[in-house]
Amino acid sequence: MITAMDRLIAAANGKKADRIPVFCNLLDQGAKELGITLKEYYSKGEYVAEGQLKMREKYGYDNLWSLFYVGKEAELLGCKNIIYSNDGPPNVGHMTIKKPDDIHNLEIPNDILGHREFEETLKCIQIMKRETGGKNPICAYLTAAMTMPALLMGMEKWIDMLLNGPFDLRDELLAKTSDFFRKQLKAYRQAGANIFIYSNPFGSTDFVSMKLFDNLSMPWMEKDLRDIDTSGVVYYCGGARMNPVINKVIEKLRLSTFYLSPFDNIDEGMKTIAGRALGAGIINDLMLVDWTKEEIRTEVKRMLDAGMKSDKFFFGTLVMPLSIPDENIRAMLETAYEYGRYE
Amino acid sequence: MQVMINQIKTAYNQAIFDTDKVTALKIVHDALVGGLSPEDIVFKVVVPSIEYMSTSISQNCKSNLAQHFLTAQIAAQVTEEMISKFAIPPKLIGKMVIGTSQGDFHGLGKKIVIGCLKSQMIEAIDLGLNVTPERFVDEAIAHNAQVIGISSMMLHTARGENGCLKVRQILNERNLEHNIKIIVGGAPYRYDHHLYKIVEADAWAENGIDAGTVIAKLIEETKP
Repeated sequence: MITAMDRLIAAANGKKADRIPVFCNLLDQGAKELGITLKEYYSKGEYVAEGQLKMREKYGYDNLWSLFYVGKEAELLGCKNIIYSNDGPPNVGHMTIKKPDDIHNLEIPNDILGHREFEETLKCIQIMKRETGGKNPICAYLTAAMTMPALLMGMEKWIDMLLNGPFDLRDELLAKTSDFFRKQLKAYRQAGANIFIYSNPFGSTDFVSMKLFDNLSMPWMEKDLRDIDTSGVVYYCGGARMNPVINKVIEKLRLSTFYLSPFDNIDEGMKTIAGRALGAGIINDLMLVDWTKEEIRTEVKRMLDAGMKSDKFFFGTLVMPLSIPDENIRAMLETAYEYGRYE
Repeated sequence: MQVMINQIKTAYNQAIFDTDKVTALKIVHDALVGGLSPEDIVFKVVVPSIEYMSTSISQNCKSNLAQHFLTAQIAAQVTEEMISKFAIPPKLIGKMVIGTSQGDFHGLGKKIVIGCLKSQMIEAIDLGLNVTPERFVDEAIAHNAQVIGISSMMLHTARGENGCLKVRQILNERNLEHNIKIIVGGAPYRYDHHLYKIVEADAWAENGIDAGTVIAKLIEETKP
């Protein structure tokens, strides 16, 4: 029997398994599945693992997530307050960096695996690994050096420092967040994750000009990824478009998977990738809240028609809000399974 | 004179596109020393630059967040500096209150809107983050604002019961809908262009740069 991992490896090698891999990012839905609040759900690795396993079983997609919520990384670097909501993802409620001295004093933990704030994530990965026996890809979410400061000081202050300086302080912070990324990647790999979503909106020309991408984003991404095992690392710009930079990323970073934006033209993206990497077409999943089943089927089919011209293609989702009705999640996935099947 | 203004405008726009704040400010200050009036700097250089950025977004989608941020930041800084040198204090077009919806802690979009509005002579009162629907309305009344701006980064804060829908309900209950208009913006609205209707806003703007034009129209609609 073909496993989800077989499917992914086949696609990565341009070979056809039974169908294309289908990735679905259901996170907060796990709390609903277990009948507990989001705050309680995210308090224990056991809960998140159980939620992930139950949802994968229920819907049949291929991947599992070790991500709790995006602000979790900030907690490893000193964030003391996460603000929970009952109907959406938690927010970072405490900025670790408020003044220049906070950058000088920011310490990157050497032992991420043994860090108290990583304990529940580690448990979650270990449970999922044990329960699936390596049959399903386990995804980890890692924020790139260029983007991590936004979680530590707020987007407004970070973009101001990024563009206007003081540049020595900016670069001191980037050196630390790059070190953090590299240590996290190593820790997640040791823990048992095998797909690493390298999240960097600043790696998109929706965020910075091509000039700034070349002069700042790319050099820092090169530092993030230099001389380490980058297998399983997925280029992702947090929903921002990446088609204009794909070629540069392949040539300079040698990454082998691209998780496009819903706003990227899939046909164009796959042509740019040109068989050199695996590419994911991503549905605009905010629309799933209101779309009819027919609209969902039409959109998924359109995406697969565009993407499956390449053998190195898979289907993915973006943020999957909690308010998407269950039947619409099923309609999306069933269409992806149906039209994503190989003859 | 027009040739000189055009040259300054071109150089200023280029500095903004290069996200080079130091050069943009130097161009403005050199122009002032060179004899351009503070009024011309605001209305013939800074405001057209915002319009130019807006046009470039709609025509070729080649502008980016960094450029939007700097356009707003520099526009606000230059306008504030120049207004103090105006021969006659400028007349405000109108007022708005702006904040992020309850449960939302993402303030960058709001900041870009506020920066651009200053040079367009619209006073924006920043209510900050995580603003309750009741406060949006109370502050709009207290400041005699014609527009409420609600920024949301997440879908559940955009369409949740304590977001725009509740602000609309309060305006309706207090019979204020003709006097106060609602504009919404933020990521969810870019993913779903009809969402502003679902949350019962009067309008939306795709980005902070375009918001000024939409807000000016809404202010116009409230006039008898």
